[in-house]
Amino acid sequence: MKKIILSSSLFSLVLGLMLMPGQYAWAGSRAGSVSERILAADHQLDSMQVESAHQLPVKTVEAQMKYQGGTFKVLARKDEIGRYRCSVCHNDKPVRVKNGALFTHSDVVINHGQGENELACVDCHDKKDRDVLIDKQGRKIDYDHSYQLCGQCHFRQKRDWVGGAHGKRESYWAGERVVKNCTSCHNPHSPAFKTKMPETYSLPLDE
Amino acid sequence: MSSENKKDEEMKTNKVLAGKTTRRNFMKNLSIAAAAGSAGLVTGGCAGSATSEEAGLKWEEYFKNNYRLMTQKEKDETVARLVRLAKLRDNRDIQMSNQGPHENVLFGYAFNISRCKGYMDCVEACVQENNLDRKSKTQYIRIFEMDPGQLDPTTGDGKFHHEVPVDGKFYMGVQCFHCENAPCIKACPTKATWREPDGIVVVDYDWCIGCRYCLAACPYWGRRFNWGDPQVPEAEVNVDQHYLGNRMRMKGVMEKCTFCVQRTRKGKLPACANACPTGSRVFGNLLDPNSEIRFVLANKKVFRFKEELGTDPKFWYFMD
Repeated sequence: MKKIILSSSLFSLVLGLMLMPGQYAWAGSRAGSVSERILAADHQLDSMQVESAHQLPVKTVEAQMKYQGGTFKVLARKDEIGRYRCSVCHNDKPVRVKNGALFTHSDVVINHGQGENELACVDCHDKKDRDVLIDKQGRKIDYDHSYQLCGQCHFRQKRDWVGGAHGKRESYWAGERVVKNCTSCHNPHSPAFKTKMPETYSLPLDE
Repeated sequence: MSSENKKDEEMKTNKVLAGKTTRRNFMKNLSIAAAAGSAGLVTGGCAGSATSEEAGLKWEEYFKNNYRLMTQKEKDETVARLVRLAKLRDNRDIQMSNQGPHENVLFGYAFNISRCKGYMDCVEACVQENNLDRKSKTQYIRIFEMDPGQLDPTTGDGKFHHEVPVDGKFYMGVQCFHCENAPCIKACPTKATWREPDGIVVVDYDWCIGCRYCLAACPYWGRRFNWGDPQVPEAEVNVDQHYLGNRMRMKGVMEKCTFCVQRTRKGKLPACANACPTGSRVFGNLLDPNSEIRFVLANKKVFRFKEELGTDPKFWYFMD
């Protein structure tokens, strides 16, 4: 009887010893919560080192402002505008083509601003120089940097966009920061998102 | 972790490996002998040698280690075997990676509930990217249509199918939250699921025994079970795969969102964040103070779902 007790206690001792390192390892892995790990981070990843985070097949321009990490790039806009440059038609002579506006610009539907605040063409486009946009202080703004123009009214969205809470990065989280322009997602003449059918559907949870 | 600690850890692992080598080598040699034997029995013929090669590879696969205990050489070998097996079995040319985590990276995710419109592009992109079973319509992401004032998805409608967005509703996406203190990991009896150093909770599909304890343990419905062999149309198979990510699963194993490990370790955004047309999905490195995700955490009103459980998820919801 004594022998059994002795051997069983020995067994449990051995078992306990075997389990102990495991327990310590477990406690070690639990020590760092997310916030603790964030606070304890002393080395930074040079995200340019991440493989294949460099090439982007799209045209970009350097943004004319800075975010918390320095400079960044935005997707270029001018290449996307089919009839750019505008001064090909809109030069110092008046356009006299019959139904010209109908043929060239009737796809433009303005649904931007409500009631008496509804925008007219010349609120954003420069009357004299059609190749650029113009803000309320008379500064000429390049089409590639339209965020400067949108940000006059939508300054909260612009602040979030510069920081990264509005809009999105192009394809990569690592590497040089390249973000989408306002016009990459919003139609500037009718910027609100449309209602549509969802891309797919989900089955009921209890099936 | 200091380098000394690391060395210690490595030595321990090596010891464990050395202890097991005798038995494993024995089984391996046995397997090779068996494969050679069967090849001999079949005696020639092109088809015969292909099947015996397949049998040999399967046999070696059967006796491989848990992914976390594998050396880099063993990881490369198993990936090579799986690539070859895909070719032999399905005549499919795949690339499979076993790329490890980057140092000083901890992935985090934020979801803007005031921007999401319920278009579900993310769900579709996830299904395509991760080779999810089309037959049972497995989806890692679920979007709930919610009434204002409710922040618990169980009160929402998770199976809407009508024009979105509906006035007066908002949309909330739920997926695996990659908890730092994940209950699913603790529940697993075979240690087939764990948290990688970059914060991604992954599954070794070959060590999962399909007990579904993790599914029961997860308070966020983040895990999916394969009741049958996953079926993906051959033309839609994503051949850019990762051992811990979107490689083909089999009947009877768990799977889950891996933050698209095959994409994110290469610096890309996860498929869902890349597909979102509204910019509701923010993904990035939590350890980088200049990252978008850190900007969101510092400047927006954020909350985590069921934070009181202490699971410490790395997935935040935020509002404009």
